[in-house]
Amino acid sequence: MNITQINVTIAQMLDYTTPILFAALCGVLSENSGVVNIGLDGIMRFGAFFGLLGAYFSHSPWVGLLLGIAVGCAVGALHAFITIRWNGDQTVSGVAVNVIALGLMTYLLEYIFSTTGYSPQLENYFGAQAYRVHLPFLAKIPLLGALSNLSVMIWLAFILTIVLHVLLYHTVLGLRMRTCGENPKAATTLGINVFRVRWFAVIAGAALAGIGGVALSTSSFSGFSDSMPNGIGFIGLAAMIFGKWTPFGAMGAALLFGTGQIVQSIIAVTGIAPNLAPGLTLILPYVLTLAVLAGFVGRSVAPAADGLPYYKEQR
Amino acid sequence: MKALEVREVSKMFPGNLANDRISFSVEKGEIFAIVGENGAGKTTLMNIIYGIYTPSAGTIFVNEKEVKIHSVEDAIRLRMGMVHQEFMLIPRFSVTENIVVGDEPRKGIFFDYTRAVREVRELSERVSLTVDAQATTGDLPVGIQQRVEILKVLRRGAEILIFDEPTAVLTPEETADLFVTMRKLQEEGKTILFISHKLKEVMEIADRIAVLRRGKLQGIVNKKDTNEEELARMMVGRNVVLEIPKLDVPVGDVAFACHDLHVKNSRGYEALKGVSFEVRGGEIVGVAGVQGNGQDELVNAMIGFSRPVSGSMELNRKSMHMVTTAQLRKEGMSYITEDRARRGLVMPYTVRDNAIMGQHLNKPFSRGLRMDYEKVAEFAEGKVKEYDIRPGDIYDTAGSLSGGNQQKLILARELSLPHNFLIASQPTRGLDVGATEFVYGKLLEEKKAGKAILLISLELSEILGLSDRILVMFDGHIVGETTPDKTTEEALGLLMLGVGIDRKVQS
Ligand SMILES: Nc1ncnc2c1ncn2[C@@H]1O[C@H](COP(=O)(O)OP(=O)(O)OP(=O)(O)O)[C@@H](O)[C@H]1O
Ligand SMILES: [Mg+2]
Repeated sequence: MNITQINVTIAQMLDYTTPILFAALCGVLSENSGVVNIGLDGIMRFGAFFGLLGAYFSHSPWVGLLLGIAVGCAVGALHAFITIRWNGDQTVSGVAVNVIALGLMTYLLEYIFSTTGYSPQLENYFGAQAYRVHLPFLAKIPLLGALSNLSVMIWLAFILTIVLHVLLYHTVLGLRMRTCGENPKAATTLGINVFRVRWFAVIAGAALAGIGGVALSTSSFSGFSDSMPNGIGFIGLAAMIFGKWTPFGAMGAALLFGTGQIVQSIIAVTGIAPNLAPGLTLILPYVLTLAVLAGFVGRSVAPAADGLPYYKEQR
Repeated sequence: MKALEVREVSKMFPGNLANDRISFSVEKGEIFAIVGENGAGKTTLMNIIYGIYTPSAGTIFVNEKEVKIHSVEDAIRLRMGMVHQEFMLIPRFSVTENIVVGDEPRKGIFFDYTRAVREVRELSERVSLTVDAQATTGDLPVGIQQRVEILKVLRRGAEILIFDEPTAVLTPEETADLFVTMRKLQEEGKTILFISHKLKEVMEIADRIAVLRRGKLQGIVNKKDTNEEELARMMVGRNVVLEIPKLDVPVGDVAFACHDLHVKNSRGYEALKGVSFEVRGGEIVGVAGVQGNGQDELVNAMIGFSRPVSGSMELNRKSMHMVTTAQLRKEGMSYITEDRARRGLVMPYTVRDNAIMGQHLNKPFSRGLRMDYEKVAEFAEGKVKEYDIRPGDIYDTAGSLSGGNQQKLILARELSLPHNFLIASQPTRGLDVGATEFVYGKLLEEKKAGKAILLISLELSEILGLSDRILVMFDGHIVGETTPDKTTEEALGLLMLGVGIDRKVQS
């Protein structure tokens, strides 16, 4: 395995990690304020399709990104409306979002592009050379060389991880968000408007899931496929739990899952275990997810009021 | 000037009129106490003033101007602050985070943690309520958590302060310190509403006292013109006797014994440093001590929540080594906890279900795979009557009960479990005088029935009145053993602070 191959493999791993990380960050933001959003898989699907749509018709992935964010926010607002304004069950609302996303995107794909399965391919997408972040001075350094030619979306995911960490643990808003997620009643007694904080967290989180979708269709791939996001939203949720509801923890988990995704190419490149059935390596990330959820990594404690509706006069 | 006035305020909960046309006013700079039985509606009224509940009817005036308080933000804007009866703390947060959240020192949008810690330290020193600013709140004993709650409100510098049972878990010294602070605030012109079930405290600190009974205002009296007996009578509607009769019961067999017990606390620090004692049938052994001197760790080890580092424990002469809590209960241990929310009850469950928890697998409540809910309901109805748990609907959630009624529910359950050894950890925390009288009666009944009782309490009068023997805990040791006739509150108080301890007494 030579240096170029290693660099390519690492870059590929980061590429796989990115949408998982966006999904996980969505979960981290939303659940730290106390709202579970399992609809984030569906929101990614919205983001993936509308990201493609914007990029396709404007010939600029940036427009796709903005559209993906906008649609993510809109769907997030729907989830917030149901679960915060009307205290609807958060799981039911999330499942509804997923189901709507499934049907609606398939329909829109056929309706707008008259195709099934795949959208037309993009020429201008974040994965294209023209939209990559070129850092030639890194190219010759082993390992870091992988970072010399990455999609802007990959950088965005890691930058937002840091931003989210700072937001949650070093800002006033973050402290208040966590208070709402741990004990909304206490937050109320401190004059914190629990509803407003939760609305913000859910919508901002949904925007991240929307970006994750855009990253799939305009960065990792150059088009929308009807199978997107392929359960990546749920893997993101697992990464969030694995990472104990913290941004950096979620990032570590997402990197692990991303590595799981490229085991196949590592095997191909290095030539170890050539007879391993490709299907087996494909399920590796899911096996990892299950292992994580089964408590393999030790206890991971959710915010105390995570997933619970809140009424002001409750006791 | 009137700092606060409520006029004809009512609050209706589904099927329950918690406040019934209540009117009173409080002068600026006054300490105004509100007393009343458990469930009388004190907390509800305070929650209305503080904007947590919306009143069903009535008006509120602040500084003689009518105000509409729709939310806590409104109340805070009107310069109010409230210490809540139930802790409003986040166990995972540090003490500092809990104290400053909602009113954080900041640098731009950033939270200035260093300054927050400094502010908390300064404040805690100034009002002599000692806390470790960086400790994780959930690791602290309830008494210290109470201090955190008080500091939280003091820091915000409100003009009208509401204290809803702040002293329920404080030691007499801490209460005295709090009163010094309250007096200081009063001198600064702050107005204070103070709720307590301890009439002695009320008589000490209040200028005027309002008595609530079943949602109605019974009357307002000047401190000068009243006494504890009259207050108790106004609250309960009859004379209350808190005199505890001496009861001589032949001492039976050893129910619980421990020898050279060493236990670590959740932070890995050895909090119990070699403790030995035994409790026999028909005797009440009191444990006196300032919070945080090993009592929590002792109880945790006894109920099987933590494993001792070394030493041995026996229940009914059987070793408790590696025994689970369920097995201990089967063997005859009952446990009244002071931590109602986390250990005592499952708040979202009904009174009915909470009443049989722990017996739910036994006959007649369970028949194989099926619960016999008729039997369960019948049992719960009986207990609600016997213990006078109000409002008395067994299908209310435990969380909807007032604090004192929650405590009665725990008592009802634990005393009805088959047992011969009872751990009573602050059994009268938050109870009104009538209910306290009732609990004392129950404990004595237990004693008469030959049960062994370990009573842990901050209330020295309770320890002195009920115990046959008293153990004093200090810094993880039992530093003295005495009997009520050989000691006084003052002597015990000194011993509890570690004054004049002969180190050789420590076993
Ligand atoms: N959120 C609520 N929902 C339903 N009922 C409630 C609620 N809050 C209080 N109640 C009921 O209102 C009545 C008054 O309760 P409150 O907590 O005000 O009593 P309290 O005087 O503070 O008693 P304690 O001394 O035990 O704290 C009780 O019967 C209680 O069950
Ligand atoms: Mg109360």
